[in-house]
Amino acid sequence: MIDRNQVRNIDWVLIGLLILNTAIGMAFIHSSSQYLPGNHALKQFVLFLGALIVLFVFLSINYRALVDYSLYFYSVALIVLSGLLLFGRLTAGTKSWIVLPVFQIQPSEPTKITVILVLAHLFSSYRRDSLSLGLGFLSILIVGAPTLLVAMQPDLGTALTYIPILLAVFVMVGLKKRTVIILIIFALVLGIVGWNGFLKDYQKERITTLLSPQKDPLGAGYQTIQSKIAIGSGGFLGKGYKKGTQSQLRFLPARHTDFIFSVIGEEFGLIGVIVTFLVYFLFLGRLFQSTTKSRDRAGVFIIYMVASMIAFQFFVNVFMTIGLFPIAGVPLPLISYGGSSLITNFLAVSLVINVRMRRFVNV
Amino acid sequence: MKKEKQIYEDLSPIQDKAQKTLILVGIVFILILFFFWKIQILDHKKYWRQSEANRLREIILPPQRGLIKDRNGIILAKNIASFQVSIIRENCRDIEQSYQRISRLLDLELPVLRERIDKYKYLPLFQPIVIVDNLNVDEISRVKARQAEFPELIIQAEPKRNYPHETLAAHVIGYLQEISKEELGRAKGKKNPGDLVGRTGIEREYENQLVGKEGRILEIADSLGRKRGEISREDAVPGQDIRLTLDFSLQRKAEELLEGREGAVVVLDSKTGEILALASYPTFDPNKFISRFSPQEWLNLLQDPEFPLENRAIRGLYAPGSLFKLTMALGALDSRVVSEWKTYYCTGSTRIYGHAFSCWFRGGHGSVNLYSGIKHSCNIYFYNVGKLMGIEEIAKYARIMGFGIRTGVDLPGEKEGLVPDPDWKRRVRNEPWYPGETISVSIGQGPLQVTPLQIAACTALIANRGRAITPYLFKKNQSTRIGSPQVEIHESVFDKVITGMWKSVNEGGTGRAARVQGFDVCGKTGSTQVVSTATAEKLGQDERIVKTHSWYTGFAPKENPEIVVTILVEYGGMGGATAAPKAGEIFRLYRDSHDR
Repeated sequence: MIDRNQVRNIDWVLIGLLILNTAIGMAFIHSSSQYLPGNHALKQFVLFLGALIVLFVFLSINYRALVDYSLYFYSVALIVLSGLLLFGRLTAGTKSWIVLPVFQIQPSEPTKITVILVLAHLFSSYRRDSLSLGLGFLSILIVGAPTLLVAMQPDLGTALTYIPILLAVFVMVGLKKRTVIILIIFALVLGIVGWNGFLKDYQKERITTLLSPQKDPLGAGYQTIQSKIAIGSGGFLGKGYKKGTQSQLRFLPARHTDFIFSVIGEEFGLIGVIVTFLVYFLFLGRLFQSTTKSRDRAGVFIIYMVASMIAFQFFVNVFMTIGLFPIAGVPLPLISYGGSSLITNFLAVSLVINVRMRRFVNV
Repeated sequence: MKKEKQIYEDLSPIQDKAQKTLILVGIVFILILFFFWKIQILDHKKYWRQSEANRLREIILPPQRGLIKDRNGIILAKNIASFQVSIIRENCRDIEQSYQRISRLLDLELPVLRERIDKYKYLPLFQPIVIVDNLNVDEISRVKARQAEFPELIIQAEPKRNYPHETLAAHVIGYLQEISKEELGRAKGKKNPGDLVGRTGIEREYENQLVGKEGRILEIADSLGRKRGEISREDAVPGQDIRLTLDFSLQRKAEELLEGREGAVVVLDSKTGEILALASYPTFDPNKFISRFSPQEWLNLLQDPEFPLENRAIRGLYAPGSLFKLTMALGALDSRVVSEWKTYYCTGSTRIYGHAFSCWFRGGHGSVNLYSGIKHSCNIYFYNVGKLMGIEEIAKYARIMGFGIRTGVDLPGEKEGLVPDPDWKRRVRNEPWYPGETISVSIGQGPLQVTPLQIAACTALIANRGRAITPYLFKKNQSTRIGSPQVEIHESVFDKVITGMWKSVNEGGTGRAARVQGFDVCGKTGSTQVVSTATAEKLGQDERIVKTHSWYTGFAPKENPEIVVTILVEYGGMGGATAAPKAGEIFRLYRDSHDR
């Protein structure tokens, strides 16, 4: 199990950055929800403590064991997602949630961890310098299955966050030009079929609204416009903590969840944006840097997929707040309110630490 | 440490890829910063304004409109509580659905509702548009009870104009109507869409005094429209009250006298020009259409063939008929064309320029001088005087007496009438002046046109022996009394004409029906041919066409006159029979109430 050496090698800097980002999140969850019933900031704090416990519990398990058993986790996750589609009840228009007496779980979030582990397992001993077509399609299948199940809930935002995991694998393994072309054609066909046969009208609307939000200022463009007003009116220094009118007077939608970054921009201005970027960049940098501290291929894959997944989600969310990406319902990792996302990201980071701390050990 | 690299697999190729990805992430961070720079620094002002527009809401507090009172303080126009419902389209989730629900709530037909809102389509979405007004407390409570379901509706209390005496002096007071788009443009932000403004009468003439200044509340509102705080408040300043020169009882009497007919009554204080009564009939009740929306009553009034909305006293144009003989007499004496003792013989008709002209009294008045000419209103006498004076001279004196020029009364829309002369005829009709027309003008016929108010002002000028007054309605604190004569006609000339007018009333002349015991009334009757006798015969039996307009104008007492009364009754027949007795009643009422 854990020996003293490993404990000494726990990356406390990474844990510190993780907690710092979560703390920024709680501060702005408090600012943007203090007037709502139920103490969201406190709930998030409790969830944070739980997530921290989960993190340390998972550190005690060797990541290689997790990789070895990954197929079981993955299968369970797929069964849960399918079951949710079959038996789940609609909550806010989607079947994304398992509703338990005290809290709700969004299985689509932790499923990402199992996908990462399966892919790490698949490529742990793959040493060719480019991806074979067979393995390529197998990895598409591995990522595609849960993505499709999540998209059918329908939760397109979360489904979207699976994509960077696949892309990360492609980058790690390397692709031949021919494969790249085939994949692009495949993606285009999928996109066209998806647009015409799969996307709901409101989802299409969100994408077209991105191109011209003013066309329908009360409808689909409303959220983007209000978010840009919030950020823009913040100016250089911001309006002050808990003094953002767009957020406090509720013109900004989803203030403590998807649009929490707009609250930062409004209340702390460009300075707040730069500071948050800096802290987040240090965090992401520490994650990507951790690949050099892995002793095996599976570890590098795990770290790279985790880092890519979090970076991608961060950018998608920030792009959304300034109208560069459709309103997709992607939370800002670690900062937005929400337990499933928080615990999943803690789990993901725990895997990175897990890999780092076991770099000198032979099991 | 170095040993490990040999023990384990070389992972540097894929680790390098992670390093490169990190560089890419760093570049993306910097690129996004440029977007934030643009939004937060370059476009900051624009977004700041938009966030302020989101947060701030301006509420306009309508001012109380000033009261309108008669000279003794009797209230003629006041304000009562009323409610209006407005829509803020910005707050509609779905416009169409909203319209349907509102239509049911307010019991308003959908096309009507749509029309009302469409009228202000051009306004920004956040500006409220009034859709129903004039609701009382009971009606509004039904809407209030369900307000939570209708976030797009706002209810506002609004003082509503009320005229307690309904039709009384309606033409003088005027009425309010919703401001038009053009007026809104002219007001340059001082008025708001949906404001009611004075449309005619005193309400329009003194709009600026009456309206007051609206108040404004600047408050903070959240996205659901709930008030969250107040930034500033400026209370409304009520409008100024206006006291009119009208005398309630004289006004009421004047209107009673006209009831059932079409016509006008003007009563002036001859010393000051204060209008004591100004009536026009038929009339209307302005309460019925103080609304932003034209009810059926309004349309009916507009289409009424008797034009009840027209103020006949200042806008009705009539031939003065025999009333013009006063001007003729003044002109003839002043220009020394005749002396008061010069006589003409009236046989009932005469031939001038080869045409037959008849007197109204077919039997003939016999030998007539200036006094008996006025007393009996003899046409033949004035035909001869007119022939001697010529049209230029007649027109000159008509203008001196105030015809063809607005009196300058403080009411909008006054007409100036017409004093014809050869110049006018050439200009307008492109024809020469025929001498026969001069003869018609001599007895106040032909193209000559005057308003009843001009007649009253002219009568005051005679009563004051040459001192002109300007009739007015806005009661000044200190009435300016007339001073020295402004008209270059000698006072003795006026005295002679006045003697004729006195005889007309008191010595059995045409105006005898206006006689009041102990109140030296002087006056003159008039009967205006509406169409020529020949045309009338052709048109046949319709009494209204054949009948003449009935005039009376006079003042009292003879010395130191106080009051002028002018009466016009359309299709009233002979002035002596219809108008003169009515004038008598007004003189009597005035004398009784001013009995010293």
